[in-house]
Amino acid sequence: MRPKERFLRRLSGQDVDMTPVGCTTAYGAVALMRACGCERPLADTDPAAMAGLALAGHTVAGFEWVKAMGWDITAVSQALGCELGAPQIDLQYFIAGHPFEQRSIDELDCPDDLLSRGRFPAYREQFRILKEKVGDELAIFGMSEGPFTCAANLMGTSNMMRATLKDPKTVEKALEVTTAALARVIDFAFDCGADYYCMADPSSGSDLLSPRSWQKFVFPAMKRLAEAAKGPLVLHICGNTDKIIPMMCDAGVAGISIEEKADLKTAIEVAHAKGVRVFGNVSAASTLFMGTPQECRAEATAALAAGVDFLAPGCGLAPNSPLPNILELRKARDAYFKAQ
Amino acid sequence: MPDIEELLKAMHDEVVSFNEEGVREATAAFNAAEYDPLRGILDGLAAGMNTVGRLFKDQEYFVPEVLLCAEAMNAGVELLKPRMRGAEVKSEGTVVLGTVQGDVHDIGKNLVKMMLEVGGFTVHDLGANVPHERFVEEVLRTDADLVGISAMMTTTMMGMKTVIPMIKAGKPGVGVLVGGAPVTHQIAAMFKADGYTQSAADIVAEAKRVMAATRRAAPACCCQR
Ligand code: B12
Repeated sequence: MRPKERFLRRLSGQDVDMTPVGCTTAYGAVALMRACGCERPLADTDPAAMAGLALAGHTVAGFEWVKAMGWDITAVSQALGCELGAPQIDLQYFIAGHPFEQRSIDELDCPDDLLSRGRFPAYREQFRILKEKVGDELAIFGMSEGPFTCAANLMGTSNMMRATLKDPKTVEKALEVTTAALARVIDFAFDCGADYYCMADPSSGSDLLSPRSWQKFVFPAMKRLAEAAKGPLVLHICGNTDKIIPMMCDAGVAGISIEEKADLKTAIEVAHAKGVRVFGNVSAASTLFMGTPQECRAEATAALAAGVDFLAPGCGLAPNSPLPNILELRKARDAYFKAQ
Repeated sequence: MPDIEELLKAMHDEVVSFNEEGVREATAAFNAAEYDPLRGILDGLAAGMNTVGRLFKDQEYFVPEVLLCAEAMNAGVELLKPRMRGAEVKSEGTVVLGTVQGDVHDIGKNLVKMMLEVGGFTVHDLGANVPHERFVEEVLRTDADLVGISAMMTTTMMGMKTVIPMIKAGKPGVGVLVGGAPVTHQIAAMFKADGYTQSAADIVAEAKRVMAATRRAAPACCCQR
């Protein structure tokens, strides 16, 4: 079975010969940059270098689908006015200023030229290169921050947190704009040929926000995006997501991506009952970054045994993750299905 | 005159229910009765914040609730402060706190700061993305007993390994606490930190433990203490 066919069949719940292996978050690892010669800062801004690093995920790391749209989760926030900090080879672009920390959120709107701003023109070209090179072979996904994280970036996360209890109207107004912006970005990705779109909404996770507030603010936004999207969505939230996984699944997404801090077995049961697929969940922060290859193999094998639908890191690969560790994902998958 | 225990309980409860107005009312009544302002802070407002720390650890409360409780507590502290002049408030110790270089995450660090202050420590907060040398400078400037370093990313966490020896070289007797999501007990030990907690709720106990331990271990030399 070709990797693309395997991926798409699995995502829509059809039978496949084996579990696909890859990464549905950022895989901007320095080892991959060095291996393919596409390093930051070019790998963040130049379409050819961005595509080069995306492809290295397949050719070097053995991943069976590839990522378009950069190696961080700041692009939509940037286009809506957030200032970014300078990246380094082992540090992603990051939010350096919150334009609506002091200013009223009423001044925020989604600009008509959103998709000509920031890195979107480069993403368009990156998609074109990837489609041409591997479009028949491999699934390609677009990715960005989700609506809540984007709004928190614009308002300042602490501010946003307070407002969820004290000033819900402001939160709703901010989410209204970021959700509209995301709907356009998701459209853009599918128009460019994406096979699916992943949203990472870390600031809405249960390390910060209560499940009650998730239901009140984030769920309606996700539902709206899922209903409007021209293709399948995957929702990634880091940390322990046990209490919000049922809601994540009910939002209408095709897949969820979770970390090792969530209970994988239960997540799979809940998700499958709702027709949703699960990506995960080898620890990116500890095992893949600091563990031994043996530990990576063991965690990957455990995820496969638990019945994960797509074997992947639980979160974005830490930039300094060693290549031998990353390679264990593919090796674990191959060995697991050979033994079966 | 209203009973002091009742007023303390009201101050505690209004902090826990993050009702700023309620805290002000209860504290004003406490002031009107001319009860000891220090007790108001410790057994009323700060006690409330300790309960909040527990609720946070038990996932009954989340970051928004904790931030609002802290604001409510501060509103009460502001009303008690004018009556505290002259009163001897013994600081538990001085802590220099910051998020490591390259890392802008500061929500966890801010919670740690709040809990340390509630626990009676004097905190010098350097903010986020703190250059290594700033920690050393501030420790020397304030003659701090402890340094708290937060890191939220695997990349920036490695900066702790660099900054800890720098701090220890600058002031050998100082105790270093580390924390943040990617940090574990093992990593804290590997980086030769003196203390670690997973949650801000336990930070005060850990800070006290480390202070006692480092005090014992430090060379008893007058130029260091
Ligand atoms: C909110 C958030 C943000 C906000 C930060 C807002 C702010 N002002 O802090 C924003 C959106 C700006 C942000 C940016 C980025 N983030 Co971020 N972010 C998070 C998130 C969702 C929550 C962090 C948080 O505040 N938790 C809540 C607090 C209360 O918990 P805590 O920090 O762990 O603190 C507790 C304990 O650890 C402890 N503690 C904390 N400090 C200390 C210190 C001491 C001394 C002690 C004893 C204890 C202690 O006490 C606290 C209370 O109990 C996490 C994911 C997650 N769910 O954890 C990702 C996460 C930390 N971010 C991540 C990343 C990658 C980024 C970016 C690079 C994203 C990008 N650009 O694409 C940038 C980083 C930029 C930079 N250079 O720093 C990754 C880090 C991956 C890794 N392990 O390396 C994470 C884990 C998400 C992920 N998996 O992708 N992020």
